[in-house]
Amino acid sequence: MMNLEAAKKLLQTGIENAKEMGRPCSIAIVDENGWLVALHRMDGAPIPTPEIARDKAWTAAVFRRPSSEVSAYGDPRAPGFGLNAQNWNERLTTIPGGMPIWNESHFIGAIGVCSETPEEDVILCQKVIKEMGAILNRKVGI
Amino acid sequence: MNELTLEQALKMIEAAERWARDIAGSPCSIAVVDKAGAAIAVHRMDGAGMATTDIAIEKAWTAVAFKMPTLMGSRWLDPRNIGKLLGDHAMGMIGRGKGRLCFIPGGIPVTNEENEVIGAIGCSGVPSGVGDISDTSASQAGVTALYE
Repeated sequence: MMNLEAAKKLLQTGIENAKEMGRPCSIAIVDENGWLVALHRMDGAPIPTPEIARDKAWTAAVFRRPSSEVSAYGDPRAPGFGLNAQNWNERLTTIPGGMPIWNESHFIGAIGVCSETPEEDVILCQKVIKEMGAILNRKVGI
Repeated sequence: MNELTLEQALKMIEAAERWARDIAGSPCSIAVVDKAGAAIAVHRMDGAGMATTDIAIEKAWTAVAFKMPTLMGSRWLDPRNIGKLLGDHAMGMIGRGKGRLCFIPGGIPVTNEENEVIGAIGCSGVPSGVGDISDTSASQAGVTALYE
């Protein structure tokens, strides 16, 4: 279960890592149903970043897979093509940077990061999830 | 003080959280936005309703957009004021602001020494009606903590 305390720890870890990388960013933590639990925007991060971070986290939480993998549903060669054309939800995004968080086999929520490039967002997400495992002292994965 | 920092926003949110937990005894969501109306920090306390985060952000956005507490604006939309000067034509406000406009009491703008609005805090989830317990009081606790 995602609670505010866990979310705050994740955000703290993420912000420390982002400071090391020198990338002001926004980080959003959502619960297992995609609802926002906590969101921080670092000083200097651009105005749209909190909303984008939240979109990424929502997408990762509801599909229970990284937001970058959701774009596979929009591939015209793959079955199920059409996600990109339906525009059924203003939160849905296929930008990399949203990651689900699993506590062993238990789904607990998702993280969304928005900074300068999606590649850096993914690295930051992975770092945070890795440290979350250390906090919980359990096998936490994507 | 021209811009709210994340540190200041968290100071406000923590004070509002403390107030909601210790005085009101009710979990809630608290949001702090900058002078552009963009979120700096949002927290949903354990047990608060899942829609409260959005409402808290909307209240803070409205407070910064109108540079007044949402309590003031809620008077415009009070049906008892229809036909009076205060509430005249204010119903046209409904649906404005691309869904972000929320004139429910609980959003308070934050000003600096020059009395310029530099951001706002919004709170949602505290039931009101008993004494001074309301979303506005929780937000006020946050604002007070900033100036301490």
